[in-house]
Amino acid sequence: MELAMTVGLAVFQIAIVMGVVLLSVAYMTYAERKVLSFMQDRLGPMEVGPYGLLQPIADGLKLFFKEDIIPSSANKLIFAIAPIICLVPALIGFAVMPYNETYAAFGGEAGVISDLNVGLLYILAFASVGTYGVILAGWSSNSKYAMLGGLRCGAQIISYELALGLSIVGVLLLSGSLSLREITMAQDGGFWHWNILLQPVAFVTYVISAVAETNRLPFDMPEAESELVAGFFTEYTGMRFAFFFLAEYANMILVCCLASVLFLGGYEAPMEFLNFIPGFIWLAIKTWALLFFFIWIRGTFPRVRFDQLMKFGWKVLIPITLANILFTALGVYIYNN
Amino acid sequence: MGLMRDIFMTELMGGMKLVFLQMFKPSCTLQYPHVKHNVPDGYRGLMSLLRYEDGSERCVGCSLCEAACPSNCIKVVSDEVPGQPLVRYAKEYYLDITRCVFCGFCTEACPVDALAMTKVYEASVYDRRELMFDKHKLYELGEAHLADGKAYLLAHNMDDGTLNPTEGLGDNRYEFPPVDLGEGVPVPTTVGLTREALEAEVAKS
Repeated sequence: MELAMTVGLAVFQIAIVMGVVLLSVAYMTYAERKVLSFMQDRLGPMEVGPYGLLQPIADGLKLFFKEDIIPSSANKLIFAIAPIICLVPALIGFAVMPYNETYAAFGGEAGVISDLNVGLLYILAFASVGTYGVILAGWSSNSKYAMLGGLRCGAQIISYELALGLSIVGVLLLSGSLSLREITMAQDGGFWHWNILLQPVAFVTYVISAVAETNRLPFDMPEAESELVAGFFTEYTGMRFAFFFLAEYANMILVCCLASVLFLGGYEAPMEFLNFIPGFIWLAIKTWALLFFFIWIRGTFPRVRFDQLMKFGWKVLIPITLANILFTALGVYIYNN
Repeated sequence: MGLMRDIFMTELMGGMKLVFLQMFKPSCTLQYPHVKHNVPDGYRGLMSLLRYEDGSERCVGCSLCEAACPSNCIKVVSDEVPGQPLVRYAKEYYLDITRCVFCGFCTEACPVDALAMTKVYEASVYDRRELMFDKHKLYELGEAHLADGKAYLLAHNMDDGTLNPTEGLGDNRYEFPPVDLGEGVPVPTTVGLTREALEAEVAKS
């Protein structure tokens, strides 16, 4: 009975979180096209449904029914596995994301699928696994564009993962935990408790590295369409292509969700009197605000050159994050004594 | 100052502000199949053949359009109007729209303003053979878009409106001159008659 309850609770929460994440992925593509259009004085999708609201569904159906082409000279096994390696780590990170305050369901306590005490490390580790998918996709396609895209992705993600991880360390020093739930709970009680006020530099470096980490403009070197056709997924079609697409957007949502949890108080309301609004709505608002920011910078900045990207990562971001860690550590030490 | 500008990324922020404000400006997209542009009178759309007000064909089968056409897409088969020697018309008229470059030279070459271009620009069909316009199709287009065709002729200064001032638009009607066919050959009784009388004559014979 107890086992059944535990399993029921897990399945219930997985269904909720995955449903919301996949729906958000679908509508993130819509939102991106719409917002970019507005920024460029266009209208964006308008034909499918009112204001084009059913466009993501139409696109999904189209991709589902498209022909699946595997290049004759490709390594078929790895070619088939790569999209899955790419997609799974992007979705699996949501397992440790606290989406609401604890509530009772199925005789247990819900609010996060699994409250790992090393939740943050878990997300970072799986984000690195996702890189394998991209590199293997680039290699197994046996195409020069895909290969270059995959290699660029490898170099870029390794460089920026460092900056990403280092900018998180400041938050860890402040909250003293790797569990995302405890990090959120440490920011309880109004927006002046949020980590962004104590760690503004870390927030900026985190967002910049997150953009690079998810291969978004202006750091979308792995798929730079004016140079590499479509980068690592040049040879992919149909559902496999859709997997990479899903992975990119799921990754974006993941890093934005993580930024909300680490710096913006996660599911906590910004003011005490706003507590009547459920926590998951606050998390969604914060995440979507950051996602809007991602689209916004995509609409504003041109793509950087690859050497500039590397130089910026290693010579600017990493020293800044290291200095930030040093000062945070000093501050925490002085505050505690 | 330069350092502070770098730290706070002033230039980048300026760009982002501009893009953000741009978001609230009205879009300049025209929702094309639902909303359409107003096409100017001089627009060169699909070709059409016009008729006079009394319903008779303007085309006299002179083949000048065929000669003027740079892409050789016009074919005129000229013939005499039955029962009216020397009065000619186009028995057959073919216009291959797939080859037409919409230059309008044929309308300029036409001495009787029989050819005019309409404002039709949605010419897509599922069968290419439908784009081989014959005389029937061209007159059909001309009837459906008579006003557009006249406006086209006016816009391109091909009609000064002097010949038919009551309509505001002349017809440039070609009056076949009386001919002398020589000694011993009777002059056809139809020459020089008005159109109504001519038709009555033809109907009698």
